[in-house]
Amino acid sequence: NSPAPLPERAIYGFALFLGSWFGFMLYLIWAYIPETWLFSLGLTYWPQKYWAVALPAYLLVTIGIGYILLFGINMMSTAPLNSTHTITDNYAKKQQQKKFQEEAIPALRDIPISEVNRMFFLPEK
Amino acid sequence: EERRYRSASGAPIALWRRQHSASCRELTVRCSRLQLRSLSAVTSAVWLTAYGLYVISENSMVLSAAIFIMLIGLIIYLHFVKVDQESLLVIGSLGIQVTSSYASGRESTTFIEMGQVKDVVINEAIHMQKVIYYLCILLQDPGDPQGIYEVVPLFQSSKPRLDCLIEVYKSCQEILEQRKTAPQSS
Repeated sequence: NSPAPLPERAIYGFALFLGSWFGFMLYLIWAYIPETWLFSLGLTYWPQKYWAVALPAYLLVTIGIGYILLFGINMMSTAPLNSTHTITDNYAKKQQQKKFQEEAIPALRDIPISEVNRMFFLPEK
Repeated sequence: EERRYRSASGAPIALWRRQHSASCRELTVRCSRLQLRSLSAVTSAVWLTAYGLYVISENSMVLSAAIFIMLIGLIIYLHFVKVDQESLLVIGSLGIQVTSSYASGRESTTFIEMGQVKDVVINEAIHMQKVIYYLCILLQDPGDPQGIYEVVPLFQSSKPRLDCLIEVYKSCQEILEQRKTAPQSS
């Protein structure tokens, strides 16, 4: 699963490149060439030309709203100041205490906030 | 007994400490009063806008509506929003009382009994695109001393900075430590 370049990825990239150019040329042809010319060629089943202007406008407004929406979602999912999620969570509540061994590095655990506060703010000696 | 500090947004606040007895302490944080210059700035902005609308629309109701809105807004702000002082009264074996007094004289009080208080800690959390330190009371269920049942944040309106919070924390811890030793001695 490394992001290194592979021959298959080069082929996918080139196919996407050609496809997007083709799609863009098709969009330009549909938007600019008058309908009568297209009808004379026999191509009659196109969407209304109104959409050639409407779709980019919709897309730009969506991108703008997306910025504001992401900001708002972030603010909404931040835990409020009075919730216990700022102190602890399920994993910390159910953790098991390992026995203290001499000469060994203590096991990793979540230190309760009372202990942390005492260490930081109450210098005894 | 009074010390000057700053709140999280830079406004000057004052901390008053009073010791009523060996196991009872009262800590009060006083915010600055409503400033005359900010009040006159808001009043003149609203009234000048209303006058501008009146000149455009020739409707005198705009002026009376502006006066009315200012008065009602000011009364609501003083009564419900602007906090004058917040105080914390810690009584050793009884409980903790939290009082907020508003600019209009209203006081709202909450009492938490000592059996429910697990600890008073300084916690840090994200609040409105900032990380702030705030003092909070951790409540426990009397039947389950290990679990934290609820968190009650203190000094919400004045939001003191860490130096002021450390002073309050030390004072509270001195009293809370007594309840660990007291049951053994008596």
